[in-house]
Amino acid sequence: MIETIAASRCPRCEAVVAPPAPFCPRHPVAMTPVALPGVGDVVTFTTLHSAPEGFRSPLHIALVELEEGARFVCHGAETKGLKVGATVAIEAIDNVYYFSHLGTLDRARIFWRRTGRAGDRVNAIARSLAKRVWKGRTRADSASNS
Amino acid sequence: MPGVWVAGAGMTKIGKRGESLPDLMAEAAHAALAAAALEAPDFIVVATMNPEEFLGDGNFASRVTTHMGFAEVPALRVETATSSGAAAFYTGFAQVAAGLHRRVLVVGGEKMTHLATPRVSELIGRSIDPYERSYGATMPALAGLIARALGAHGIGSREYSQVSVKNHANATQNPYAHHQQAVTLAQVMESRIVADPLRLLHCCPISDGAAAVVLTAAPTPVRIAGIGQGTDTLAVRHRHSLTSFRATQEAAKAAYAMAGFGPERVDFAELHDAFTPFELIALEDTGLVPPGKAGRATLDGDTAMDGRLPINPSGGLKARGHPLAATGIAQIVECVWQLTGGASGRQLDGRVALAHSIGGLATNNWVALLEKQR
Repeated sequence: MIETIAASRCPRCEAVVAPPAPFCPRHPVAMTPVALPGVGDVVTFTTLHSAPEGFRSPLHIALVELEEGARFVCHGAETKGLKVGATVAIEAIDNVYYFSHLGTLDRARIFWRRTGRAGDRVNAIARSLAKRVWKGRTRADSASNS
Repeated sequence: MPGVWVAGAGMTKIGKRGESLPDLMAEAAHAALAAAALEAPDFIVVATMNPEEFLGDGNFASRVTTHMGFAEVPALRVETATSSGAAAFYTGFAQVAAGLHRRVLVVGGEKMTHLATPRVSELIGRSIDPYERSYGATMPALAGLIARALGAHGIGSREYSQVSVKNHANATQNPYAHHQQAVTLAQVMESRIVADPLRLLHCCPISDGAAAVVLTAAPTPVRIAGIGQGTDTLAVRHRHSLTSFRATQEAAKAAYAMAGFGPERVDFAELHDAFTPFELIALEDTGLVPPGKAGRATLDGDTAMDGRLPINPSGGLKARGHPLAATGIAQIVECVWQLTGGASGRQLDGRVALAHSIGGLATNNWVALLEKQR
């Protein structure tokens, strides 16, 4: 199955933000929790060559637009070849979110997700493959991690 | 609303300074008061972004006013991140416009160069949304995200590299500027990458310095025609647009409304180019050039000193330098000097000036319009 990302929706303006916030940034009303699939389109990205304390350089950061317009900040292993508008998967590893380029398997995963439960086994395989790749790339310890 | 006028302006040379921040702020304040032929103001507005962490000093309004000999003059401190100087200017304006005080000193400054660059970067970065910060987002990182988004808006490296070239060229004629040497387009485009696609020479330096103005209820040659504030979400991910800043657009709208005229009356401007793509965004957000035309206008030389709309005659944040809370006031100082014939070596002929300051990653912005009186 695809990673689920916790978010929240404003009952007034329908804006969705991730991670969830108690109040809408633009309206003084409580937000409603929603869950979004961890797939989205790259809005923009950068590679930071002088990362702040607690992070390793180069540090890849992307802004990814999820369903319902929520934009999500995440890390990645690489931005080489990445293009604005590209569809990426988002995986959580130790509560830190990473984007990954969608390979054939990932695309299949999205396809199966849309076509029902039959794809679940394939999804699980894709997911474990993705995690294996990420395991070698754990982020440097940071006190500011939440 | 009663008129508010600028009676005097002063600033320190911007750069790596050995003096303490109170010394720098005293130098700027005393220069502005001398220019206004005033010994003491009725009220003082102090701007510093983060002396608690840069210097370990709190209660900074009292700290600095006592240091400069005004312990008995009422004072307060104003802070809106990197636009704190502009916020202080607004606060001083409001004091005079409301009739609460007739002669207000506005002084801002920052001292950072004694700290290591990663530490400065981290401290400035505390003005970023905590969640985005937890992913390593610094000001250059967020500016890098915005610079890439501008690609789809027709603005690329060549356009914002030209901003660096222009502003460095302007600063060669400004003895107060941090970097008074010119750079070539090739040097900018080949400088090391900081936050892809942004390179080192697209980013402002870390600077020390202070600037001050005296505002009065009595007419002088320079009137504050309009001033406006605009805001947006702290988190960049919640923005409706990455290629324009709502905070600038709203600030400009409010300033033009107060002034009773539009961007067509502006002869030159000081725009917040902490990262040079921001100058192009500001050109469009303030209405000085039509949407989508900022890159072309810059490449065509329209915004150069001899162009139809000179931008950042001081050298801007890029080359004059960016001592945080000094910057918004230093912009006003440059505009006042330009309007009153005090910008020798880089003197423009203009009647209306615009100053634009960005707080944080465009969360709390200001636009001011200054008009030379006939």
